[in-house]
Amino acid sequence: MGERSNPFWRSPALVGIASLAIAFAAVEILIHIGAINRYIVPLPSQVLLASPRIIAEEDVLGRFLTTAGEAAAVGLLLAAIAIPLGVFLYRAQIICAAVESWVGALAAAPLVLIYPLFLVIFGRNALTIIAIGFAAGLAPVVLKTLEGLRATRPVLINMGRSFKLSRAQQFWKILLPSALPSIFTGMRLGLIFGLINVVGVEFLINFGGLGQLINDLAERYDLPAMYATIGFVILVSVLFFAGLERLERWLRPVQ
Amino acid sequence: MSVPAIAGKETQAPLPAGTRPLLLVEGLGKSFETPEGVVIAVDGVSFAVAKGELVSLIGPSGCGKSTVFNIIGGLTPASQGRVMVDGEAVSGPHAAIGMVFQEESTLPWRTVLDNVAFPLEIQGMRRSERLEIAMHFVKLVGLDGFERRYPSELSGGMRQRVSIARALGFRPKMLLMDEPFASLDEQTRLLLGDKVLQIQQELGQTILLITHNITEAVQLSDRILVMSYRPGRIMRVVEIALPRPRTSEIVSSDAFGRYVAEIWGDLREEASRGMRHDEIHALRDARA
Amino acid sequence: MAATSTIAGERQRSAPAFARRVLATRVAIAGGVLVLWEGLARSGLLFEGVVPKLAAIARGLAEMLATAAFYANLQTTAGEVATALAIGGAAGLLAGLLLGASRFLGRAFEPYLYYLGPTPKIIFFPIMIMWFGTGPGSKVAMGAVSCFFPVALGVAAGIRQIDQVLIRVGRSFRASAVQMALKIYLPAVREPVVNSIRLGLGVAIIGVLLAETKLSNRGLGFMVIDSYSRFDMPAMYALIIVIFVVAVALNAGLSRFARDRGRSQTVWTG
Repeated sequence: MGERSNPFWRSPALVGIASLAIAFAAVEILIHIGAINRYIVPLPSQVLLASPRIIAEEDVLGRFLTTAGEAAAVGLLLAAIAIPLGVFLYRAQIICAAVESWVGALAAAPLVLIYPLFLVIFGRNALTIIAIGFAAGLAPVVLKTLEGLRATRPVLINMGRSFKLSRAQQFWKILLPSALPSIFTGMRLGLIFGLINVVGVEFLINFGGLGQLINDLAERYDLPAMYATIGFVILVSVLFFAGLERLERWLRPVQ
Repeated sequence: MSVPAIAGKETQAPLPAGTRPLLLVEGLGKSFETPEGVVIAVDGVSFAVAKGELVSLIGPSGCGKSTVFNIIGGLTPASQGRVMVDGEAVSGPHAAIGMVFQEESTLPWRTVLDNVAFPLEIQGMRRSERLEIAMHFVKLVGLDGFERRYPSELSGGMRQRVSIARALGFRPKMLLMDEPFASLDEQTRLLLGDKVLQIQQELGQTILLITHNITEAVQLSDRILVMSYRPGRIMRVVEIALPRPRTSEIVSSDAFGRYVAEIWGDLREEASRGMRHDEIHALRDARA
Repeated sequence: MAATSTIAGERQRSAPAFARRVLATRVAIAGGVLVLWEGLARSGLLFEGVVPKLAAIARGLAEMLATAAFYANLQTTAGEVATALAIGGAAGLLAGLLLGASRFLGRAFEPYLYYLGPTPKIIFFPIMIMWFGTGPGSKVAMGAVSCFFPVALGVAAGIRQIDQVLIRVGRSFRASAVQMALKIYLPAVREPVVNSIRLGLGVAIIGVLLAETKLSNRGLGFMVIDSYSRFDMPAMYALIIVIFVVAVALNAGLSRFARDRGRSQTVWTG
């Protein structure tokens, strides 16, 4: 792409980081000169300074673990329930044809809206948060698992039959490995929706980990700390998904 | 050396005298229900393959030879007739038959070695034993050095060699191959043909090869069964009296050219019939 | 081409009989759910009123649909969602086009979008309130921010997936830049673009509704939290049913639009 002689312009990653730094600096200057109201947008420098403060005072680490823990619980539930459900639908063709469009509809519906209901049923605790996260992530995982199993190339199934594989062997040695990339995509999507809903519900019901902290800080009008916490939430999701990609690459070394 | 078919009747493709057939196909027929009515894909195909022979089944596209492949391999039931392998009737995939498919059939998530060991793993063989046997066949097809690689790192021709090695590892009495080199270029095809000849020589392997490529059939076979276009039946049997052991150099000999010309003479009209049929079909589909 | 079917053995299934069994299964499942619901409602297992009887819900639904207030709130929310989609969608489309067309820009900035995407946008809501006030502005902002990311990422991916052969064909016939854009690029990315917008619509609806539940005195989200605070469960269920039906219908409509050239595609794309 950039055929200029200056090597700096060759590296897109550096350009990205540099743009970010420039944006930070620009905001800092604009606030100092009063072009941006400092009571609406805090100084970026202050936001950075707030980070160690909130770690110490607000137990950010503990809250981080709470949120991450809730997200992990959602992930485990999805793996344990949604994937087998997808497999079941693949096998039970009539039930699958009956409910598939309903599951698709579920994926499109704003499930998080039923959080008041879960509040009443489970109470104001982590269970509600995990339940909504799981409900939101269920449909994508089921659908992607189904899609992956269906996309198994017929020649591989025939090859398995020619070597007289039992049904169980067909499943574990051919169908499942072939569907794994799709299943991982589904899990990633399920976790995205799950994490969004976990932090969202934490914020909405003012309970739990980082989501609640943001709510508190907003009410206390501690802007730099609030922005810093938002940064932490972004960090959580980055780490989570980078980790997921690592796991995927380890489990399936070749695409 | 070639036995002309009696039009419309079942054709017996007689074996060389004094041999016991490994594969016996009698009166094979297959018909399908389509929206346009009943289609007879295969009608009254009968032939036999003796132990140690390499027989090719050649015909134009759409003549039903892949159907015959699936029936003999036990993946599809026949509408009529029967298939006997080593004296037993075929009613499903048989342990005596190793299949090599036309499409990519290596498992992309396994290394070459694990791919070749796959059927042995299914049979419950111990790990060290099956890897040793697999390695032997990896070497046999000329892929040693690549056993730890993944199929995505190999060329198409190499991947088909993996599929062949895997089928051989199954220790089948007969190797059943469906246009295994169809997706490869001519030169790779000739060289892989050499490989197949070499394997047949070393193992004394019985092979039934389904192909549409005349050069390939003449290069490799002891006998060639020529199929007509739909409904598929054996029109003619050609004995190939080229010397064994053979290599791909044989393609430049006069005898080779005469065999190819003779077979093309039979196939040409069948292939044209097939092409016209496809055109009519496409027109009909477009109007629908 | 022999019509051989060897996939997992041959099964001669007659289509009408299959469709009948599917219908019967659907009726059975839906019926079963309703029976269970009614049973749960009458059993007294859960706190009174959490699972109201079906008749109560039906009544609540009928009453709600008869009031003018409902339609006023529906209009508010619909307006907010439409505006959010327009702003976020347009911005996302532009960003996606730039990131997809330029490999350099894509490598420089797309990772940020990719990692910001899964971040729950509701946490930006306090900021939105400060910037745009407590009225519809902050709700629209929430919706717009929510839908920007899936649209941008989806459009960028769609552009990158254009079959290069098509581009070479256009250039070999010396198409101008405008002709390339209108006759090659645009038709080629129609499906991914519409699907991205469909996804964007979904998250815009969620963003707007959640913002309304948190801080608002108008809109459907407000109605939900309002009925919850009054413990008027039948009204809350009625609202949820309506919202779900509308969201699903919009989604299905858009997916049909994306699909309409006869290509097969599952309703939900990830």
